[in-house]
Amino acid sequence: MKSGKRQKQVASLVVNGTLLLLVLIWTVPTLGIFVSSFRNRNDISSSGWWKIFPYRDWLPVREIDTKAAGLDPNGVMEVEGTSGTFEEFRAGIETPDGKRLTWIGNKRLGKIEVQELVWTATWNFTMDNYEQVLGGQDFTFTKPDGSEYIVPGDNMTGAFLNSLSVAVPSTVIPILIAAFAAYAFAWMKFPGRREMFILIVALLVVPLQIALVPILRDYKALNLNGTFLAIWLAHTGFGLALATYLLYNYISSLPRDILESAFIDGASHFTVFTRLILPLSVPALASFAIFQFLWVWNDYLVALIFLGGNPEFELVTQRMAAIAGARGQDWHLLTAGAFVSMILPLLVFFSLQRYFVRGLLAGSVKG
Amino acid sequence: MIKKPVLWTMVSLVVLASMMLVSCAPAATEAPAATEPPAAEPATEAPAAAEVPFTVMPGGELEKAVTGAYTGTTVTVDGAMEGNDPDGVKFSEGVKAFEDATGITVNYIGNKEFEATISVRVEAGDAPDIADFPQPGKAAGYVKDGLIADVKDFLPESWLSQQYNQSWRDMATIDGIEAGVFHRFNGKSLVWYPKDDWDAAGYQIPTTWDELMTLNQQIADDGDTPWCIGIESGAATGWVATDWTEDMMLRTTSLENYDAWVAGTLPFDSPEVKKAIETWSELWFNDAYVFGGRSSIGSTTFQAAPVPMFDDPPKCWMHKQGNFVTGFFPEGSEADVDYGFFYFPPVDDSYGKPFLVAGDVMVMFNDRPEVRALMEYFTVPESASGFLQGGGALAAHQTATPDMYGVDLEAGIAQLVVEATSFRFDASDLMPGEVGAGSFWEHITSYVAGSEDLDTALKAIDATWPE
Repeated sequence: MKSGKRQKQVASLVVNGTLLLLVLIWTVPTLGIFVSSFRNRNDISSSGWWKIFPYRDWLPVREIDTKAAGLDPNGVMEVEGTSGTFEEFRAGIETPDGKRLTWIGNKRLGKIEVQELVWTATWNFTMDNYEQVLGGQDFTFTKPDGSEYIVPGDNMTGAFLNSLSVAVPSTVIPILIAAFAAYAFAWMKFPGRREMFILIVALLVVPLQIALVPILRDYKALNLNGTFLAIWLAHTGFGLALATYLLYNYISSLPRDILESAFIDGASHFTVFTRLILPLSVPALASFAIFQFLWVWNDYLVALIFLGGNPEFELVTQRMAAIAGARGQDWHLLTAGAFVSMILPLLVFFSLQRYFVRGLLAGSVKG
Repeated sequence: MIKKPVLWTMVSLVVLASMMLVSCAPAATEAPAATEPPAAEPATEAPAAAEVPFTVMPGGELEKAVTGAYTGTTVTVDGAMEGNDPDGVKFSEGVKAFEDATGITVNYIGNKEFEATISVRVEAGDAPDIADFPQPGKAAGYVKDGLIADVKDFLPESWLSQQYNQSWRDMATIDGIEAGVFHRFNGKSLVWYPKDDWDAAGYQIPTTWDELMTLNQQIADDGDTPWCIGIESGAATGWVATDWTEDMMLRTTSLENYDAWVAGTLPFDSPEVKKAIETWSELWFNDAYVFGGRSSIGSTTFQAAPVPMFDDPPKCWMHKQGNFVTGFFPEGSEADVDYGFFYFPPVDDSYGKPFLVAGDVMVMFNDRPEVRALMEYFTVPESASGFLQGGGALAAHQTATPDMYGVDLEAGIAQLVVEATSFRFDASDLMPGEVGAGSFWEHITSYVAGSEDLDTALKAIDATWPE
């Protein structure tokens, strides 16, 4: 009895411990990026983000001018009772009193630092990255006569609004259509139902990239290129197969009795759909909404092709690409950019989260 | 259950709101185009034409454009920089004078995935009016398909030869047609050094390869590593090594051989190419000469490579890279104080002072008068004024004068280019994509990493050359 309890405790400890470890491993890179987003470029490239935690390091107490001391780095040197060659001093010679003498620089420009081992931490934080990401970078131009003028860069506001304008309809439209379709596939009898459903499932494996050129050609004929309607339709089309399939699994698993009693009471398909199916499928709709929203929000390629012809409609993903610069020279801004662009998807996720797990399980119960 | 209607109301409100947001946006962008067309005003515009701040070729479309003949039209330009990244802003600054003078709107739609999106756009029949190709080799496919107009059709020979050095025109010539006009370029044969520390240490700028090798040994004897080298660049890892190879080709063999190498008639597995690579290998593979040693070259990003040079005291003393590298120097570094540059010294005097460059060529897909006008504008150095005043590139036109540059650094590099006895375009950018942006990078990286010997690597590159 007792040993059984003990065993259970050990087991749960192992499971929880493993989970905690996994969570830590998963979170550490994010934490690193988060810390880096508050550091300036030189700090990021010269020391690791973990240097914000206290560590022991040799820090200079004072300097000795090697030229004034008349030291010849080509031979054995005598510094304050310690002697050694240039190579030895460069690596650092520890003295008996716990100090260290280190030659900094090369033979020509060198100086000797007297260092002590102390606890230190690199706390040099800045908001510059966020300011540049949110407020836009300024570009300075110098005219031949020496006068300077500044061209302000774009800020994030426009990109955020554009991304929202793309993402919200691109999430809602496919869900509405897919819900109708799923209901029809699940509860209405019509010829070719099975075949059409198989076709939709087959569409799940078609990569969207192969559709880019033909769709762009059609859009050009319809004069839709570079409009929001174009990208809504594209995302709707690309998302519809998965949406229909997921919602079908959920809607077909709803209890038959409820629907039948409604039909007996004289309800039409439309009434049943709006009054029963939609309210009952909120968990499935919400979980798909999260998927679709995240996908559309993070999409770069589709937006580039169908919306890229119109620079006014720059999305957050495009803005992020621009922030790093044509040759990636401003890579350090991506840290802050990542967190800024993360805010909205996180909000969406947490506000719909309570439906999420229920919705995911929903489709899976029915075999 | 009672909550559900509220949820749906909210969802529909959000949808409505975002749709309204959208319906406002396009209206705002189209409005200027809609208000401008009343083109009955050329009479008032005409006197202003004489005051345009750039040179106008007599008898061309640009001359008509500055009288307002095409006011209200739009020209779409695609390219490899994002419209609002630093280079994109410099580009827009350069064409602003054109827009102001002509009333033509330049709609720049470029992005970093230019190579992928342009092929989709062209394929779908939605080609931009003008495309800014950073690698002329990439335009070759479109030339073969007959999609690109010959600039000689609308720009007279006399004008082109007045604006461009013949070398630039040769480099823009693909399959017998002059496919585009060069706009701006980067100088690559440059070595950067930490000027203040360098002067304090009393090092001398080397003017020959022997002097450079002596200096390397001197710096190594003084306890430092002379060079910082990094070739990591994601999918493009290795391009830094191809630049060194090209610079060495120009310095150890004739221009004819260089051109033959670019054209594919001189194989990689020839003594000339081998010698060029072996020359820089002397430096690269000496652990005393490279910061971090040979093994760190492959894993150091080209962006991070120059940074140790700015440590106090410097951890390395020289870094070879094109003039765009200043963007990667630590913030606040000052030209002529914290860093300076010198010409990558020649190896063999008999090949003179060659200069390696890479640049952007403008090609025209859609032939309309207003597009011609913009192409014509790209043949004058004022079109690159954003870069001349903001730094990062030089004007490709021989009519560009040092006093057009606002940035001394770029003016100094332009001076070096003028002093050069010959110049050639980055070979890997001209070679077919499979080689120049593929096997050359890949196998030179293996060679640097030591996983392939030189012969194997060169044979492997030759094998990928398309028939």
